[in-house]
Amino acid sequence: MNTNNNVYTIVYTTLIVVVVAALLAFVSQSLKERQDANEKAETISQMLTSAQYGTKAELDKLSNKDKLAKYADEIEKAFVIDTEGNVVRELEGVDVYSPKALKRQNYNIKGGANATGTAEIPVFKFKNGRTVVPIYGAGLWGPIWGYISFEADNATIAGAYFDHESETAGLGAKIKDDPSFQAEFVGEKPDFGSANVFDIVKGGAPKEANGSSVLDNKIDAISGATMTSQGLDAAIDTWLAAYAKYFQANAPAKECCGNQEGCEGNHEGCEGDHENCEGGHEGMHGEGEGHHHHNHMEE
Amino acid sequence: MNAKLKETILNPIFKGNPITVLVLGICSSLAVTVTLKGALVMALSVIVVCGISSLILSLLRKTIPGRVRIIVQLVVVAMMVILVDQVLKSFEATYAIDKQLSVYIGLIITNCIVMGRIEAFALGNKPWPSFLDGVANGAGYGLILIIVAFFRELLGSGTLFGIDILNRFGYVPNNLVILPPFALILLGCIVWVQRSIQKDLQEDK
Repeated sequence: MNTNNNVYTIVYTTLIVVVVAALLAFVSQSLKERQDANEKAETISQMLTSAQYGTKAELDKLSNKDKLAKYADEIEKAFVIDTEGNVVRELEGVDVYSPKALKRQNYNIKGGANATGTAEIPVFKFKNGRTVVPIYGAGLWGPIWGYISFEADNATIAGAYFDHESETAGLGAKIKDDPSFQAEFVGEKPDFGSANVFDIVKGGAPKEANGSSVLDNKIDAISGATMTSQGLDAAIDTWLAAYAKYFQANAPAKECCGNQEGCEGNHEGCEGDHENCEGGHEGMHGEGEGHHHHNHMEE
Repeated sequence: MNAKLKETILNPIFKGNPITVLVLGICSSLAVTVTLKGALVMALSVIVVCGISSLILSLLRKTIPGRVRIIVQLVVVAMMVILVDQVLKSFEATYAIDKQLSVYIGLIITNCIVMGRIEAFALGNKPWPSFLDGVANGAGYGLILIIVAFFRELLGSGTLFGIDILNRFGYVPNNLVILPPFALILLGCIVWVQRSIQKDLQEDK
């Protein structure tokens, strides 16, 4: 048989590619359900890590079933909002957003040709008072995503966990592998009022500079991973800006109760909301969180 | 088993080891040897990919058009790599390790050992010896991986397979060992040991 014939070569390569493609499609379809279950458990363990239910390593010791059970135990309320901060629908049971679902919403937030509708983004409120929201964007080599949790004040970051598909090991991959990078987010306060909600920059910025209570929304970028750092910065800006109205609307009116000066301009709204305000204030003292924060400021 | 077949199996393990003698597959051996578990999964993956790709291509060897043989090899190896990756992602026990190895499972396709053995052996030999050659080369690669990972996990984290060995005696894990350059130093030491045992590898002065 002459295997160097042109027709033979073309038919042979076509055939082998079609056969391989069919086989891979079949395998991918039949394993999809198992992979999705693994991915869901992984997403849950990332959200729980962000909400400070333990380190990622500790949570990974749980089986998939236990992770789902822990989520079901610890979730207080999960719902989907639009970018105006209005609740669109509730998320029932163990319903989380996979990275694929986040990608779709990422297009919707940004608008443009790939958008399929208005953005519907999830909010997860846990029983420890923390609220977890996802972020999604482009790293250097592929998608990056993660979960940022906020304290009960809806303004201070309580924790963060990031993941990626194919960032460079030892450099960009540090957004996932380096707990000290993720720890930098703790205590930061994103500036929801501006377009530049959060910054990942060289050197970062000192917390509470000069003892003043300026918003601290800058952390130190990763050396040698400029593109991944910038990608993460952009992803956080895009997503937190989409959540800005929700967080601003749900921040407790503690300016009204504690800080009279900041309250003056907004006095009427304050009066109407006074009772809620009191309740929120007590609640915070009860938890110890608010109290602790006051001490911190005085130091 | 005849002597030739035995040689096919044993040669890649020591005398003609793909990493220490042929110096192939260095990149991944630096990257995936931080933990023993990772090294073990990587070794098994390469054994499976190498063995089955060699078998398939040896079965096809008389039909493959000479001008596109590399592309055909590539398609088959890529298929095997994707299959291994998909299977690792599907099981709870291997999902985390697949995430940890991330790109390196996919990069098995660029491991010179796989294509090298197909081109050098599988295309010119019968299926059974080709399969054994693929498996043995994967095993030779895996053996070095496991030796390197043993030292790196023991000295770098104080553990083996995640179980505490040295830390309970107050050992402070050495961060240098975790970094890729140390794997290269270790590999150098292994080559040194092998060359002093196997004198015929030494160049004439």
